[in-house]
Amino acid sequence: MRALFVLVLVLLSLSGCATVAPEQRAILADPTMQFDAEGKHEAPLRHALENREGSMGGTGVQGGGCGCN
Amino acid sequence: MQLTTRSSLLGALLAAAVLAVAGRAGAQVLQLDTGHTVFYEAPTKTHMLVYSPSADVQVSPWSWIDVRGGWEADVVSGASVATKAGGVYGAAHNADVVTAASVHDFRNVGHGEIELKGNTTSLTAGYSYGTEHDYVSNSMHVSARTDAFQHNTQFELAYAHNWDKVCDLVQDTAVANQPTSWQALPNSAGCFTSDPTRTTHDLAVDTYEASWAQSWSPVVETQLTYSAQLVDGFQSDPYRSVIIGEGIKAQEHVPTDRAREAVTARGAYYLRSIKAALRFSLRGYHDTWAINSGTAEAEFEKSFGENVRLMARLRGYRQNGAVFWSDDYFGGAPPLGQKGQYFTGDRELSPFWSALGGLRAVWSVQPADHRIFGFIQSFKLAGSGSMQWFSYDEYTLAGTPVANTFAYVGTVSLTLGF
Repeated sequence: MRALFVLVLVLLSLSGCATVAPEQRAILADPTMQFDAEGKHEAPLRHALENREGSMGGTGVQGGGCGCN
Repeated sequence: MQLTTRSSLLGALLAAAVLAVAGRAGAQVLQLDTGHTVFYEAPTKTHMLVYSPSADVQVSPWSWIDVRGGWEADVVSGASVATKAGGVYGAAHNADVVTAASVHDFRNVGHGEIELKGNTTSLTAGYSYGTEHDYVSNSMHVSARTDAFQHNTQFELAYAHNWDKVCDLVQDTAVANQPTSWQALPNSAGCFTSDPTRTTHDLAVDTYEASWAQSWSPVVETQLTYSAQLVDGFQSDPYRSVIIGEGIKAQEHVPTDRAREAVTARGAYYLRSIKAALRFSLRGYHDTWAINSGTAEAEFEKSFGENVRLMARLRGYRQNGAVFWSDDYFGGAPPLGQKGQYFTGDRELSPFWSALGGLRAVWSVQPADHRIFGFIQSFKLAGSGSMQWFSYDEYTLAGTPVANTFAYVGTVSLTLGF
């Protein structure tokens, strides 16, 4: 866990160096490059996975009801 | 089942608030979403069919605010394992000791959310209220997001709290402190009423999440997310019984506290030559019930022209069992036998593998120079289908491995912008 923390700190310190100019961001703005471009569409699948597996995390914090049959 | 008065009132208030804001400001953007999902699985002894419709509205009266409201539901029918036994007990008793019970439920959730947006920051707050025959949930969430370094770096912090209530059977006072004598809830009749045979347990859930997204080059993006969750309260399935000894069948009994945490790393890489993106996700998970798991996921998405995208997904998942998991609390050689004071028949707490494959298609149209039919600014239709397969290391139904461990999920959604 400590190694992961140090790795994150190192990467964070590098993040300011890795700038992409605004005119170079066209591809990054493409829907195919978004991690959650269809988040609402995918939410029911994520809900089903969380209720069929013993894990959670990585897909947002919103809740509401159990729906865990 | 009818919507409860409370959820109807919440929905009406949300709709009124949205319309009031939109009307006063002369809404510039209105977005309507509807989604329909079907989940189906039929492993040995059980089958489950869930239909989940949803409807959402978003109003953006000014550039600095989004107001969202919506409703979703689960219509559940099928059967689930009501009494769980393992192979040792099953071999010693010829009777069909594993039983299933029919399940019919209707989950309704109403939710509302406000997002305030600046040039580089946004703040979001929301609330949801959900009801089922045997479960009531109140949930609030807040999040804050900021950009840095010319939008190349994004940080987000999020928090959610649930105040939930679970219906249960009132246990005999003579065995109030003896979980091995507790009986399972036979059905949801009388739940959340003055029925003297029914009671409720509290369940509080705190969820924390911090994420960092980074653009490293014009074609590489990453995201690192840490999630933590503290669960405090009744977490057993009130309907499920476990055979824990000769002639002893007791309601499932699991710890009331659970701390969970996960780290998820995601990456996206754009392949210019074929105009497609490759996305990867790795997640490690640990909790205080000693469940450790790993998830690996890969997605390949390609655009066809300006309006169509097709995506293929593969996902693998592996977890070990909870420290108190046993397939047979009646006895047997390890890993069978008693595991302390707790006992469960929950296959999601057993060690297993799962694999998932899926496809998704998205058709979106947003003309720059006119409106579709004269009034629709944007249109998006999406459809997806996934198939998941499970391989249980230890979970059996009285010694019989579970067959037909496939689950299917299909979703169709439509988004219209005005």
